[in-house]
Amino acid sequence: MERSAVNREIPSHIEGYGDVAGRLYEGAFARTPSGYRSGPRIRSSSPHDGSKLTGGVKEAIMAAGVKSGMTLSFHHHLRGGDHVVNGVIQACAELGITDLTIFPTALFDVHKDIIPYIKSGVVSRIMGSVNGAIGRLVSEGGLSSPVVLRSHGGRPRAVISGDVHIDAAFIAAPAADRAGNISGQMGRSACGSIGYAFTDAEYADVVVAITDNLQSYPISPISIPGVYVDLVAVTDSIGDPAGIVSGTTKVTRDPIRLLIAKYASRLIEASPYFMDGISFQTGAGGIPLAVTAFLKEAMKRRDIRASFGLGGITGYFVDMMKEGLIQKLMDVQSFDLEAVRSIASNPSHIEISADWYANPWNCGAAVNMLDVVILGATEIDMDFNVNVCTEADGALLHGIGGHQDTAAGAKLTIIAQPLTRGRIPCVVDKVHTVTTPGEVVDAIVTEFGVTVNPRRTDLMDACADFAVSRRIPLIPIDELAERAKKMCGVMEPIRTSDRVAAVVEWRDGSVIDVIRQLEK
Amino acid sequence: MTMLDSRTAQAGTLESMDCLVTVTGPADGRVIEISGSSAPRFKISMERRVNDVLDSLGCDSGVRVAVQDNGALDIVLGARVEAAFVRYREGDVR
Repeated sequence: MERSAVNREIPSHIEGYGDVAGRLYEGAFARTPSGYRSGPRIRSSSPHDGSKLTGGVKEAIMAAGVKSGMTLSFHHHLRGGDHVVNGVIQACAELGITDLTIFPTALFDVHKDIIPYIKSGVVSRIMGSVNGAIGRLVSEGGLSSPVVLRSHGGRPRAVISGDVHIDAAFIAAPAADRAGNISGQMGRSACGSIGYAFTDAEYADVVVAITDNLQSYPISPISIPGVYVDLVAVTDSIGDPAGIVSGTTKVTRDPIRLLIAKYASRLIEASPYFMDGISFQTGAGGIPLAVTAFLKEAMKRRDIRASFGLGGITGYFVDMMKEGLIQKLMDVQSFDLEAVRSIASNPSHIEISADWYANPWNCGAAVNMLDVVILGATEIDMDFNVNVCTEADGALLHGIGGHQDTAAGAKLTIIAQPLTRGRIPCVVDKVHTVTTPGEVVDAIVTEFGVTVNPRRTDLMDACADFAVSRRIPLIPIDELAERAKKMCGVMEPIRTSDRVAAVVEWRDGSVIDVIRQLEK
Repeated sequence: MTMLDSRTAQAGTLESMDCLVTVTGPADGRVIEISGSSAPRFKISMERRVNDVLDSLGCDSGVRVAVQDNGALDIVLGARVEAAFVRYREGDVR
């Protein structure tokens, strides 16, 4: 048994993952690379080559030479509307291919259709975020190898450094041409940015574009050029537009959540980062969106303009750019129709890859330029460690997303969250799973006020004026935990077995925690 | 015993931070069933609260109390159990 720097017990060897000794989490910026990038098979082409067009998905799998035991990668820009993962796995099953490792950026409830193929051994391993039904299956021991969870930046790092070698990448392409040029910006399945797929395209031995919108050569704009793409498969539908983009994301109307958003916005206003050129990431959740709305008022009042907004982009950010309050948007995932329209038409709305967004092992990810990020959590503990992976009952239900990367990169990392979710407290003595270490978390904002990480004395000082006028009530972490305990009572422990169901990697590839199988 | 002899009364809702309590009887002894969002982490204290409320109301006959929880704090759970049980006992079945 080993102990990571956030004091978690981790087996020295994890069956189906490997040795942990030598790659234990030692600190947010402790692990650095040496040597050279890993690479894919070199291909060549000539004017005498045949067409890249292969017919349907099954023909593409055969042409790509997919065999049992290989690693197949996918990206999740089609979100809950995706048809590609299910279609490819089903076709592999029909071709008699088994023992696959799938390497998706994320799986959602729509992918529960692959559960029978997990049970029948077509899929034997998952490295990627698992949300919903598949997460529960994994927690209950439904997969023989542990799931490996990586952040948006940790995933391309793993590919580029050679931790993961992709045998074949399947890229959902809302638009493509016969030479394999790909864009996410047009077509009935348009999803905007396809930033998560870039590294897969560059590093896979075989790259297959799957499209329901084959256009004449060359398409424009092009996000992934055909120089990386071996094959183009045409299918009736790569996704359900209703599941791909949400309608307009709405600011919360819940008074408690609005209060939290107000406190968070005041904290940002009080911080030294609130000046012309500020940058932020707020995501699409109800509270973060409300923070953005309050921040917008403060920016107008104080005549401040933001240099860029980062991450998953919503119509709210698009509107702020139109109003001149944000100058640029850097977009790895476009959440709604407004964002999709904007990235397709406004050159100030920049498509970035996951590598560019968040990888700690390149020459400078965008998260390092970030001033402020607003994040959520299922649990936060006395050391400010954050859990976003497991729910109150201990089941793996969420991926890491960009949580680790933005928390590590931003100058001010704020967790904005009601103190309780139903009767379940969000502030606890010890989180069940450490996703993000307290070392990179600066403040927690609840309906009871702002809780500043004690190592950020500068932030405490910055809040002093606001605190005196009670515009930012300050509450220490132990008081917050005590209050939660008083309201909710003491929780009964989660019963787990010793078997590791999932490994949580820190963004640098070290093991920060493990998620153990639940006892029936 | 025929079905006609059995009675059911309810209190509460399935709104967030509330619970729906259903009391049915007569039953073979006191039976408490707890399900819902808090159950995995608070089952023991929830059962204790249900028992305490029933005891304080002098419940000594066999009843089945089903709690469908959606995040109710103990004080809410206690109030819902009390209301459901008093309705059951007084025949105020709605």
